[in-house]
Amino acid sequence: MFKKILIANRGEIALRVIRACKELGIKTVAIHSEADAQSLHVTAADEHVCVGPAEDALSYRNIPNVLSAAEITGADAIHPGYGFLAENAHFAEVCESVGVTFIGPTSENIAAVGDKAKARDIMARRGVPVLPGSPGELRNETEALEAARKIGFPVIIKASAGGGGRGMRVVNKEDEVVRAFQAAQSEAKATFGNEAVYLERYFLEPRHIEVQILADVRGRAVFLGERDCSIQRRYQKLVEETPSPAVDDSLRREMGRVAVEAIKAVHYRNAGTVEFLLDKDQHFYFMEVNARIQVEHPITEMVTGIDLIKEQIRIANGLPLAFRQQDIRLSGHSFECRINAECPDKFTPCPGLVTRYHPPGGFGVRVDSAMAAQALVVPHYDSLIAKLITHGQNREEAIARMRRALDEFVIEGIKTTIPLHKRIFSDAEFQKGRVSTGFLERLLADHSG
Amino acid sequence: MSKPRVPPRPRKSRDRLTAVPTVGGGLSSRHEGLNAPGGPFADAGQEIQELIDLAKRNNLAELEIEREGVRIRIRRDATAGTPLVSVREVMTAGQDAPKEKPALSSPAEATGYVTVTSPIVGTFYRSASPDADPYVEEGDFVKQGQVLCIVEAMKLMNEIEAEADGRIIKILAESTKPVEYGQPLFMIDPQPAF
Repeated sequence: MFKKILIANRGEIALRVIRACKELGIKTVAIHSEADAQSLHVTAADEHVCVGPAEDALSYRNIPNVLSAAEITGADAIHPGYGFLAENAHFAEVCESVGVTFIGPTSENIAAVGDKAKARDIMARRGVPVLPGSPGELRNETEALEAARKIGFPVIIKASAGGGGRGMRVVNKEDEVVRAFQAAQSEAKATFGNEAVYLERYFLEPRHIEVQILADVRGRAVFLGERDCSIQRRYQKLVEETPSPAVDDSLRREMGRVAVEAIKAVHYRNAGTVEFLLDKDQHFYFMEVNARIQVEHPITEMVTGIDLIKEQIRIANGLPLAFRQQDIRLSGHSFECRINAECPDKFTPCPGLVTRYHPPGGFGVRVDSAMAAQALVVPHYDSLIAKLITHGQNREEAIARMRRALDEFVIEGIKTTIPLHKRIFSDAEFQKGRVSTGFLERLLADHSG
Repeated sequence: MSKPRVPPRPRKSRDRLTAVPTVGGGLSSRHEGLNAPGGPFADAGQEIQELIDLAKRNNLAELEIEREGVRIRIRRDATAGTPLVSVREVMTAGQDAPKEKPALSSPAEATGYVTVTSPIVGTFYRSASPDADPYVEEGDFVKQGQVLCIVEAMKLMNEIEAEADGRIIKILAESTKPVEYGQPLFMIDPQPAF
């Protein structure tokens, strides 16, 4: 087993990985920027190395400094967390070449699923149901028009190298295609440095359902239930739950089977998530594979009892999965609220000094956070400051626990999304489980209207 | 070597003369800034010249003499053709610190001093190789662009250069030990008084 792991990340996910390492008896090295010198993840680790100034390109994404930090501390593995270098195929490859184990998929896996248009292609040929779309990249306006006519409107034009809602354009009619194609291309070029776009059928209010998978070195793979991440604002997730109210047992088994099929198509190893769209008629379509551990992984841990970070470490160490598909049992219901340091009206980041911080507790409540009282929320990184997770024997209990926990949560000095979460959880449609990806925008529009 | 024209030396200090032979080349006679009044080499202008001549005659790349905590080193600078003559105060056990040397217990006292910090993560080395002399010692005068040390990262030797002229006040990192981004390496007086 690894003797020492360097965590190439910060904040709550760095702390999450450090916790798993401590439980496994593995020494930890935290890296940090100058802005994070007093951060909780730094004090929690056995050793720490400053890797650069505040800007993440010069620190957390500074590959030479990160690898040098591993070298001088003698770390034999690196966990990249999510974001930063987690899906950087080049970084994974460089780790491999200097003999430091990258805890995650292989660099080939990352490259294979990172190109979203190509990934769709691979899946389609494997028989995985894929969202009706262009066979690959759209090279010009003519191809875009042809593809749109074939698939049927409405369609959405998306960046191949993209994510996070950027480089996307919805097209309702044929005469909008050309301009939308050009706009999507230039936004993709500006945001991701790559103007390649593809096209898919657009569903008005689908559900975003993703399936957690684990695969070991022997090629054995399992799925660990699904997560419903339909509550999003501008493609940024805010609330996630498992199981999905829209997925019954047989659909779950089918989606899980297809997810495993999808990752096997690229010989995937370690933890990953297969994203699907679910339409109103219970048809599901492959969207993409996320080759990393995800922010919302805790809700899967709550219902399965399986520590996903420890599984990542074990798999990276070459150990086979200790359980088979039939050993995995889903129990109860779990929600996660992403508590962001954001101003409630415009959702702009709201950095500042946290003067009081008191997280909730009690049975069925879990908080993953590196925040503390008198800690500074700095503007350089994402605005996530805490994940509030609840578990209950059923959906009603998990909701009641979340409402109770949101009331208890004290964060003063900055603005957060806690008031918004309270509104979501008291919403009648939400409580009935009638949620799709348009839900949150409507809720916000209702309130301001 | 003729007898030095300096006051008699206390018994406890001894001259140490070390010499390093060279292959080919020669020395011209340029030296600078050595005759600090009241110091052990106060009237040493002629002595310095004699040392340079000695090094020349014997084809030496380096010649060093240490007396009463002051060390003079004459080194042949292959590119410029002129010898580099450096003077530094040497701290030896049992010797009192010379009064001119500032006692720094914290960087806050050192107003006007500049701290050179590591721009990368790696291992700090004071010399180019284990048997080479350190690039700089405390008390050395350095010029802008002069190599102060090496920080090795992933088998690449990164030379850290002085950003401006100055005098090394204190060496803040330990050779062969790891350093992180921003770690203090040297304290430099950018306006050394003569």
